[in-house]
Amino acid sequence: MGGKVTCTLGEIKNRADFIVYWGGNPAECHPRHFTKYTLTQKGKFVPNGRKDRTMVLVDIRETPSARAADIFLQIKPGKDFEILSTLRALVKGQRVNEELVAETGLTMEQLRDLVERMKQARFGVIFFGMGLSMTRGKHMNSAAVLTLAAELNAFTKFVSMPMRGHGNVTGSDMVMRWTTGYPFGVSLCRGYPRFNPGEFSTVDLLVRGDVDAALVLGADPGATMPQPGIDHLALIPTIVLDPKVTHTSRLARVHITTAATGISAPGTVYRMDEIPLPLRPALVSPYPTDEEVIRRIHEAIAKKPAWAQRPEAMTPTN
Amino acid sequence: MLRITGGKVYDPANGIDGVVKDISISDGRIVSAVDGGRVIDASGMIVFPGGVDIHTHVAGAALNFARAMTPENHRQAKAFMHTPERRAGLGGQTPTTFATGYLYAGMGYTTVIEAAVPVLSAKHTHEELRDTPIVDKGCCVLMANNEIVLDLLEAGEVERAKDVVAWLIWAAKGYGVKAVNPGGVTAWKWGKDAKILSEPVVGYSKVTPASIISSLAQIVDQLGLPHPLHLHCNNLGVPGNFATTLETMKVLEGSRAHMAHLQFHSYGGDDWHTMRSEAVKIAEYFNAHPNLTCDAGAILFGNAVTITADGPWQHLLHQLTGKKWGNLDVENETGCGIVPYTYKGSNLVNAVQWAVGLELLLLIDDPWRIFLTTDHPNGACFWRYPEIIHLLMNADVRRERVKTLPAKAQGRTTLADLDREYTLLDIATITSAGPARALGLSNKGHLGVGADADLAIYNEKPDGEFLFRYPRYVIKAGEIVVEEGEIRNMNEGREYVVQPAYDPSIEEYLRPVFQQYYTMSFENYPVELERLERAEVRQLDESR
Repeated sequence: MGGKVTCTLGEIKNRADFIVYWGGNPAECHPRHFTKYTLTQKGKFVPNGRKDRTMVLVDIRETPSARAADIFLQIKPGKDFEILSTLRALVKGQRVNEELVAETGLTMEQLRDLVERMKQARFGVIFFGMGLSMTRGKHMNSAAVLTLAAELNAFTKFVSMPMRGHGNVTGSDMVMRWTTGYPFGVSLCRGYPRFNPGEFSTVDLLVRGDVDAALVLGADPGATMPQPGIDHLALIPTIVLDPKVTHTSRLARVHITTAATGISAPGTVYRMDEIPLPLRPALVSPYPTDEEVIRRIHEAIAKKPAWAQRPEAMTPTN
Repeated sequence: MLRITGGKVYDPANGIDGVVKDISISDGRIVSAVDGGRVIDASGMIVFPGGVDIHTHVAGAALNFARAMTPENHRQAKAFMHTPERRAGLGGQTPTTFATGYLYAGMGYTTVIEAAVPVLSAKHTHEELRDTPIVDKGCCVLMANNEIVLDLLEAGEVERAKDVVAWLIWAAKGYGVKAVNPGGVTAWKWGKDAKILSEPVVGYSKVTPASIISSLAQIVDQLGLPHPLHLHCNNLGVPGNFATTLETMKVLEGSRAHMAHLQFHSYGGDDWHTMRSEAVKIAEYFNAHPNLTCDAGAILFGNAVTITADGPWQHLLHQLTGKKWGNLDVENETGCGIVPYTYKGSNLVNAVQWAVGLELLLLIDDPWRIFLTTDHPNGACFWRYPEIIHLLMNADVRRERVKTLPAKAQGRTTLADLDREYTLLDIATITSAGPARALGLSNKGHLGVGADADLAIYNEKPDGEFLFRYPRYVIKAGEIVVEEGEIRNMNEGREYVVQPAYDPSIEEYLRPVFQQYYTMSFENYPVELERLERAEVRQLDESR
């Protein structure tokens, strides 16, 4: 199984009567999620707003988001995959190992109740955060939750969606996909796109020291990367485009101050549901936009001789 | 300035069938004569108007979803190397945008219509089209499951619905109106479908698929859109669905309509084991009704990725095949489903599907009303069109292929009995002149004076297996874009947009409804015209 069964956020607003947040703390990390999209909005088919909806929070600790939930399920750390697999088995009416369930922090009754509620929902959704996708099991956890949502469609309408954040990460994903076919972890070193997360993802390239120059745009890896990666950024010529001083700009060889997109530069941002929104600047900036800087760098590079003289010789045969 | 001499010209719109004549080009248009400039000696070659693809999926949220879902396909895809003139990219089942432009141009196609665009994500579609070089482009906007439109039809407010449709086309910067599984995608939002044309749609008491189809077809005609309603019928892909298709065509009497990928709607039988071709019945009705055009939506054996706004069908296909399933419902408007799929010659159902596409192309007698498509990437990739042309032009090759199908399948199609062979003029009609006319693009699809100088020049005797795979030259807007198999010029295409007339006060009606049901500001909803590069806007007047 693979793929993703999802929808735009307006579908949640208009239809969802059963909402699960898993491994995330939207009350603090996506503070307008409840009020704009999921809980308190009165939707076309949920006219009473919050009263028509049930919210479940699954997490390893009781965060402020638990106060908004009707049901809080506290699980043991690292047991997400086991619980999701158990839920998938229960949805299909298969046998489960109750001894393993006992180690997850939840009881069979809680899991059966959750499955029953999911099946009874008119329109259900699971939002999953980095507490699920970036902890033990990583992409296996994501695959399990996506599959659970997909399989529930044999009984009712059910979707899932990752709780993405960090600026315009979704927009970057989208552009990479239409230009290279892949969302991230793309290498163009051979003159055409290749994809291998773990090999070509930024963090791995930096930690291995495979990179001899870096251009950083709309990100602050100096604040988030593992130390060996940060050390390598400091070692090589690193160029940062950012409206403000960041951890990365402090260790960079060059920092080009640019206008802040959405405040003093126009642009497009993608929501977590992959819907683009136009940004209209409210202020004028004395600094150039990111786009202008990149365009000028590109023009300067285009004047240099092509690095591959006979690209046909390198084209794969198929 | 450019002059092409000595080639045999095939220009169906002007009644020219293989006549050796010179073609002169100046300022991107075909002119009667030029003085000076480059001369291309096309002796031993055939000259065609540039191909026009009336129904393809090459840009937008659904296709980009599919790209992300199928990295394993990309690894086997043709790689496009970065060069000083050309951007890097990947071909394959869901080509990247730059590769899409190169692949279409590299086959002699110069105009493509992206067939399924939600208004909500239309900005994204136009961004991708902007990154699709060389070809001219246009979009069909999804309407048949738009709940604002359906609510108005339920309330009997047809006049207001017409203004909303007109407003939405302009908001999306679209060229035509697309209807996909009318009512069925709305029902899918509750996990249901719309299988019977006369039954009310889930959530409505009066609106039926039939009433959506007839209302939209009439609205499109009244607005004077150059392209008629572009319709994907209910019950796509299901055995026995030919009855729904016939009923739909009856509902359309008195209106113009374009029936998309008719192959997927021409099946008989009661289930997958008894599925058979009903192309004969569909073609018979179609031939007698000149208000309709269609495209084939033919399939070829091999890998494909199915992408359609038809959500319920994709859930069924996922359950049937156990393959990956992507689904993206779009608030108030539409949805889409994605399932990678492999068509196998040894599979009874796939064999029947393969035969049906060819049968329709051969049984529908007017080449001006059926056009070559594979519903890319659903039936096969667009870059495989030359394989279908080869089959259309050679009855013996077809018969040999039929013999390799499962014995059961051979008895369920009439393909082996069909002797018709397409002529070069027929091919020029189904790939260019016909679709251009159905789209109302009067400067496309022909080589008369004043036409856009979009043309493809092929060797009369093919180098390889297929005649139309490798053009010697492709000329787009008067520039040589492909020469000896190489992209020579990164000509940027235009985008065709229509602006139908509507009562501007419709915004006062839409604004509060929109704010209630959507999740963005009304002001952020329409695509800004500046977002399109080289938009060519056609304003439609009130003469309805």
